[in-house]
Amino acid sequence: MFEPLDPLLHSELRLAIMSLLVSAEEAEFPYIKEQTGATAGNLSVQIDKLSAAGYLEVEKTFKGKRPCTICRITPEGLKAFEDYVKALKSYLQVK
Amino acid sequence: MEEQNNLTAERSLEIIRESIESSQHAITKNSSWVLIWWGLCVVAFSLLIAYLWDNHGGPAWNALWAVMWGTGYLGEWIISKHKKPVPTNFVSKTIGHVWATFGIFMCLFGLILGLIGGGIIPIKLLVPEAHYYLNITSIISLCFGIASTITGFIIKNRIVQICGLIAGLGGFFCALQYPWVEQLYVMAVVAIVGMIIPGIIIYYQNKE
Repeated sequence: MFEPLDPLLHSELRLAIMSLLVSAEEAEFPYIKEQTGATAGNLSVQIDKLSAAGYLEVEKTFKGKRPCTICRITPEGLKAFEDYVKALKSYLQVK
Repeated sequence: MEEQNNLTAERSLEIIRESIESSQHAITKNSSWVLIWWGLCVVAFSLLIAYLWDNHGGPAWNALWAVMWGTGYLGEWIISKHKKPVPTNFVSKTIGHVWATFGIFMCLFGLILGLIGGGIIPIKLLVPEAHYYLNITSIISLCFGIASTITGFIIKNRIVQICGLIAGLGGFFCALQYPWVEQLYVMAVVAIVGMIIPGIIIYYQNKE
């Protein structure tokens, strides 16, 4: 039986954002943009969606005089990511 | 990377793998320049102190090591200001902690020996008479080697592990053989083998 895949994570860019943040404690917006190769606008929209779902915590701060957006994964986000990978395994029949 | 919801399971796993790997490489690569920078500082100060010791007055010039710590931290701060922000992960934090521990121990050890040398702390208070002659370069080399070897195990790189062993054991025994001004040349070689070469290897291992 296939387990349902979280529709919020089942998107190329959102999945990439979550994967990046799983392996790092936190990351600044320019770093995520560089790693995913996404446009700033698109990335911003997807981060907002993940943040609204409680998967990401977004902190808007300043670095000197420049604005700085820091994203970090929440425990709910981590749980959702783990469930997503578990569900993927059922599709691939990995035990 | 645009919005794409009709992903296959294989493609999803590929995205996860690629993202995690790419992030790991970027983060680990970022820790390499710190090793290279501090390695260069040690080489430069070893050679400078050796020159001054040999030509202008003797081992008192070892006090310049204190200046190296200041120069090193200032340089590290300036370089980090000009670099793109890269997050930290378990690997980069562990490497950082290993070298920070090394730095703290060596700094305090050097300070204590400096205070003994300056007559502020009586030698008898800390060191038994049988060990009055302590070769600090031997001890530092050994610790250098241990830190490098641990770094090699963390990043799973055999060459870095071997560099650590060579720097640690080679430096320990060479410094015992050459206890006078020559020990500073040993220190320079230990820094090249134990810090600069591992730093360059980490950089190229994680270059995209």
